Amino acid sequence: MITEARSLLILFALLLAGPAPADITALVGATVHPVSAEAIENGVVLIEDERIQAVGADLPIPDDAEVIDLAGLHLYPGFVHPATQLGLTEISSVPGSVDTDEMGSINAALRAEVSVNHDSALLPVAVAGGVLNAHIMPGGGLIRGTSAMLRLDGWSWEEMVLQTPTAMHLAFPSGAAGDEDNEDLALIDETLEKARHWHAAEAAAARGEAPRPARNDQLEALGPLLAGEVPLMIHANGIAVIETALDWAEAQQFKRVILSANADVQYAAERLAADGIPVILRGVYNMPVRRWEAYDMAYVAADRLHQAGVLFAIGDSGGGMDVANARNLPFHAGSAAAHGLPKDAALKSVTLWPAEILGAGDQIGSIEPGKQASLFAATGDPLEPMTKIRRVWIDGAEYDLMRDRHRRLYQRYRQHQQAEAR
Amino acid sequence: MKRLTLALAIAAFVTLPALADWTPDIEAWNSAPPPQPGAVVVRGATVWTATGAGILENVDLLVRDGRIAAIGESLDAPANAVEIDAAGMHVTPGIIDAHSHAAIIGGVNESSRISTADVRIRDVIDAESINIYRQLAGGVTAINLLHGSANAIGGQMAVIKMRWGAPPEELVFDAARPGIKFALGENPKQSNWNNDTPRYPQTRQGVEQIIRELFQQAADYRSAHENHPEGRAGRDQVPPRPDHRLAAVAEVIYGERDVHSHAYRADEMLALMRIAEQFDFTIRTFQHVLEGYKIGPQLAAHGAGASVFIDWWAFKQEAIDAIGYNPALMHQAGVLTGLHSDNPELARRMNLEAAKAVRYGDLDEHTALQLITAFPADQLGVGARTGRLAPELDADFVLWNGHPLSVYSRVEQTWVDGRRYFDRAADERMRESLAAEHAELIALAQASEDESSDDEQGNAESETDSDADPGKRRRTMSFASHLTGYRASELDHDEYCILHDH
Repeated sequence: MITEARSLLILFALLLAGPAPADITALVGATVHPVSAEAIENGVVLIEDERIQAVGADLPIPDDAEVIDLAGLHLYPGFVHPATQLGLTEISSVPGSVDTDEMGSINAALRAEVSVNHDSALLPVAVAGGVLNAHIMPGGGLIRGTSAMLRLDGWSWEEMVLQTPTAMHLAFPSGAAGDEDNEDLALIDETLEKARHWHAAEAAAARGEAPRPARNDQLEALGPLLAGEVPLMIHANGIAVIETALDWAEAQQFKRVILSANADVQYAAERLAADGIPVILRGVYNMPVRRWEAYDMAYVAADRLHQAGVLFAIGDSGGGMDVANARNLPFHAGSAAAHGLPKDAALKSVTLWPAEILGAGDQIGSIEPGKQASLFAATGDPLEPMTKIRRVWIDGAEYDLMRDRHRRLYQRYRQHQQAEAR
Repeated sequence: MKRLTLALAIAAFVTLPALADWTPDIEAWNSAPPPQPGAVVVRGATVWTATGAGILENVDLLVRDGRIAAIGESLDAPANAVEIDAAGMHVTPGIIDAHSHAAIIGGVNESSRISTADVRIRDVIDAESINIYRQLAGGVTAINLLHGSANAIGGQMAVIKMRWGAPPEELVFDAARPGIKFALGENPKQSNWNNDTPRYPQTRQGVEQIIRELFQQAADYRSAHENHPEGRAGRDQVPPRPDHRLAAVAEVIYGERDVHSHAYRADEMLALMRIAEQFDFTIRTFQHVLEGYKIGPQLAAHGAGASVFIDWWAFKQEAIDAIGYNPALMHQAGVLTGLHSDNPELARRMNLEAAKAVRYGDLDEHTALQLITAFPADQLGVGARTGRLAPELDADFVLWNGHPLSVYSRVEQTWVDGRRYFDRAADERMRESLAAEHAELIALAQASEDESSDDEQGNAESETDSDADPGKRRRTMSFASHLTGYRASELDHDEYCILHDH
């Protein structure tokens, strides 16, 4: 226990010391890939506290800066995972460790971030793969609740939250394609209508014109969506479902819509570009949606979106095996580049573009002054599986890569194997 | 008879398309096998031999009658040889996938009994599976079709070559050693599904016990048959009752059939190796082998190979210690190590799985490529036929438009037995012909719909019918929108899906 007198003494000492000097780190010697601009050979990145202060070729380095020499390495902004359930699941076959999908149809009031396990063993593995920010989504029902953009480090989920709510999530019912009487869609419509009335009543009550409506957590949670303060992320797979969902969203007059979809989204590219609806492409490593389609149908989807002028981010399925392997996100983008997508677009599709689509473009996604200093040093092009990631910083603090369980096991058993061989 | 053969030969010669305009079909039964040129020469490529010769730059690869004839600088080729200018391209051996379920009709698991050693994949090979063509497009030339892991002994495997268009019996790669699938750990002990009628065993020690007992029974069975007197003396005794299950297990003891055992944890692998040593045989490979890196020296001492997922982990309790460094550590311990897919989609990009062995554990690039070519070929007993580029071997090879381990590279051509089964240009021709066929069918369907609606207008009765069931047309449309053309056997079968009821 710290006594009151002693804590006063500490406070006094702190006041005498004045403001702590800014903590400045200079990353030097690496080729800097800002993503938002051309690469800078032998560049300098100055980090002050948690933010990037300056980026350039010949920057003066403050005397008190900690200088870190990264000669021979390449600096990239952290990958931004656009759609995953990292932190919500640990071992997917062990139900007690899984908090991905709530039961029921209307779960608007759920907030994904509150069940993020900040000590999940999956997180350091993702970080060691360069995924430093992730958009975490709730999974169950039709209206699924709100998601959050996280930094993948922190002493609690509260410290991990970069921004919330990021979007309200809707699983568009696939049965609504070609069926005007679809019951699930009717339930969604009815819920949204109720929410509009509930909020109108609430507003009237606030003006003193009516009694307050009965509390309703689900309807209340839909307020920011209806007010246009939070975008709606629509999850739809298959072109018929996608088109039905887009028609529906247009009729509902949502201000901001983001579409999360499978490779079939390429068939709606022109419309999406015209309507200015951004897309989260849910993975490149997929089979063609139909048996008769070309073998590379899913591989070329990103390039089709790009050519049509759609703003898009590349993700993965976000569930199942892909949660533990969120670290493979950059390879999805690289494979899209093998099948037509320009390399610089591939890199943006897992850094700057997901940040922009999810409303965090002013904070993450590129190495630019003012942004969070979340970046990594790699031996080469990080979309290449052969490349090794050597050092990582999240919000200005270097991340201890030995927190990655895989590296610890590797070190332990390699030492054992070498000792046995002697 | 002779005349008929000659006529057939001439007919075949006349009807077979020339290599330049050979086009595959999306249906295997309608896909003519590509011609096998007498000679093929690939000029000026970077050749990854997967042998001690390593990577050879700017060399030629000469193929004669389906076999590799020579690799070297400025090779002489016969005048009629098919010439391929491969400047700037890379050539590797065809990829060998030692763990696949991609072309099996019906269920992958005959999970009814703890041992179903008598069931055979070769009876249910799906030659029509679109996975064969798509994996050719990823550079795969041979795969090992295995049962699942629901029971301790799943059944007899079949190694096939990816000869798209050939009937099942012609896919079988006869050079492969006979093998049988075993399984240990959570799957045979039924950890991950609710089972109203659980069967023995429900623990790892139970799995170990029942496998040991099966080997004892199989040994007794075989000796009973061998001790049954031949000829006159045998006629006076009742012969032992045939039992195909025990006969297959006995083949393992006698070195006539290899064990490829699904396993995750170190403990269960050690236990199975000790049983094998007791019966004086060697476990050919462990499959998945997630904790193999913990017992690399023991695996090497026993002589077991390892066929591995490089980065699947955390999808069940026994996968929590899986690390990407596993193949590198086992290779360094002297274990014959390879990478496998266990998934028809992953199988299309095994080169990138090999690239991860460079990322995790610093294997050199050529060794990393051997993990998906030479080493799995050796595990399946076909290393003297395929998996490397050297004279006398089958001409199973892949042309890449760049570095074969680069994410930015793509397969341009895949050859099996000196036949070009995949070719980007031929694939483009197939797309065009499918698009034309599609347009034709749509036009026909629309024409017939117009006709029938004309009929309906003149027919009050049918109009009443359609009024009576207004939902009918909508349901049809909705159904059509979900049609994908896949058969269940073509969709994912892998560890993750089996465990998670996908």
